[in-house]
Amino acid sequence: MGIRYIKEPNLIDPVMVAGWPGIGNIGLIAVDAMRRSLRAEQLAYIEPWEFFYPNKTIIRNGELVDLSFPASEFYFQRTDKRDVIFFTGEEQPTEGGRIYAEGSKAYAMANMVLDVAQKFGCKRIYTSGAAVAPLHHTARSRVWAVPNSKALLEEVIKYDNTIIMSGVEGREGQGVITGLNGLLLGVAKHRGIDAICLMGEIPVYLQGFPFPYSKGSKSVLEVLTAALGIWMDMETVNHLAEESEKELTDLYEKLPQEVKDQLDRLKQVTVAAPESGEAITEEDKKRILEDVDRFFKKEGGGEQH
Amino acid sequence: MNASAVTQFHDRPKLQNTVLIVGWKEDASRLAIRVADYLIQGLGCREFGEILPEGFFPMAGVSVENDVAQFPESKFHGSSQHNLVIFKSNIPRAEWHRFLNALLDAAQECGVREIYTLGAMIAASAHTMPRTLISIMNSGATRVELEPFNVISNTDYETPPGQKPTMSSYLLWLARQRGIAAVNLWVPVPYYLLPVDDPRACKRIVYFFNSKLDLGIDFTMLDAEIAEQNRKIAGLFEKSPEIEALVRRLEVGEGLDSAESDKLARGVLEHLKK
Repeated sequence: MGIRYIKEPNLIDPVMVAGWPGIGNIGLIAVDAMRRSLRAEQLAYIEPWEFFYPNKTIIRNGELVDLSFPASEFYFQRTDKRDVIFFTGEEQPTEGGRIYAEGSKAYAMANMVLDVAQKFGCKRIYTSGAAVAPLHHTARSRVWAVPNSKALLEEVIKYDNTIIMSGVEGREGQGVITGLNGLLLGVAKHRGIDAICLMGEIPVYLQGFPFPYSKGSKSVLEVLTAALGIWMDMETVNHLAEESEKELTDLYEKLPQEVKDQLDRLKQVTVAAPESGEAITEEDKKRILEDVDRFFKKEGGGEQH
Repeated sequence: MNASAVTQFHDRPKLQNTVLIVGWKEDASRLAIRVADYLIQGLGCREFGEILPEGFFPMAGVSVENDVAQFPESKFHGSSQHNLVIFKSNIPRAEWHRFLNALLDAAQECGVREIYTLGAMIAASAHTMPRTLISIMNSGATRVELEPFNVISNTDYETPPGQKPTMSSYLLWLARQRGIAAVNLWVPVPYYLLPVDDPRACKRIVYFFNSKLDLGIDFTMLDAEIAEQNRKIAGLFEKSPEIEALVRRLEVGEGLDSAESDKLARGVLEHLKK
């Protein structure tokens, strides 16, 4: 297994922005939208055979003409402010039928991504994913930021609409970021490279649904572009976020009243943009969240536990 | 001599210009393994090697099937008289690329010139209808070779979203990279025979190999199985005209709704299992 380079540009102090699929595909949508908006060029790819099972076959007139694998590709773009390398993985390399990357293949892929980052002189990596939160889908997603060093905390707490783990209700600074969006932070730390994971919030009741949650991606992009000082056209992402909210609202209207009542209570505990101006006590909030958890028989979790 | 670190040969038969037949144990209706076993027994093939399971299968206990503990197997059987190798294997659960390359390494050591994989397709057809044989090949040049054997070879297909290509397609693709001709052979099997056996489908594939490779196979046992299954299903028709009517509708290409399909499948299964 190896890395195949398509171009070898001279990049000045680039940052890397990486994303793999996960809950609501929040990270991957964000990274891909930024890459497309900046019209980044392909830089390299990771050979897939050792990591993935094929994902598509094409047969024409009885002959196998193509067999394709999930792509793991690097792109680059020079901007006025910064040079950027993008990495997007179409799948996470898994072992034993798990959803998220784990084990030797995940570790190997994380190292290959960082090999490319270091080859071009990256000193900062951003990854992106989802944070499952007691959020109503009509509210604006916050972004949970996890850096891989204490020194970066000072920087990330200044980001707009962003909280660190100790700012998340009930977390006390603890948690787990599953899959490669998290593992890359750890492997970067091991190599002494700064890395930050930005996770857009997704409502707890959508974590098991196969829908992309573009509102979470939009929040991630707002933070990421501000942090990098890069302008990007947000029209496509805004459109996706509006469409996503509209579809969810249509679906929501079809739910039984009892379910809607439970979900509406989340509006009261949504921190970033509560629709109701009526204040509730911490005790009320705790009770509502416990009720909603019981109702859905699920704990908040997912990529960010 | 070992083809690779994960393959072990013992007492390998003398082979040249060999044909390799691959049967996966997880195939629908167990058709591939039925065919492989029939050929192994009929031709007196003997086991001569294996791909070791470590790394390809989870070693986290054993599964139990029909009261018996199972263990993954990937074994080579051969006949020097017929220059034939038959590989029977569970589908690996990990490291597919390495596994298939180990298989192709072994194939090349055995002088394999041509590979066939076997499989059943689920079909909304009646058991009374003739079984067709469909081929997917990794080289257009093979088409001419298959023409005399009444094989359908004009399929168009793309993997639907959410599904994955078969292990056999993966093998075809890797074989092409090594310049080895490979063909997937598929027989549509009536869906209501999937939980039991379809000896007619088995015979269709064995008949193909017998004709193409001039093997001199004795079909007596398969013919007896077909006759026995026909007799049993005829008995079911006598007891249940409703089931017979459903099969007759399939014979003329009429579709069944899900309740009717379910009724037919359950009726046949219960009767044949008795």
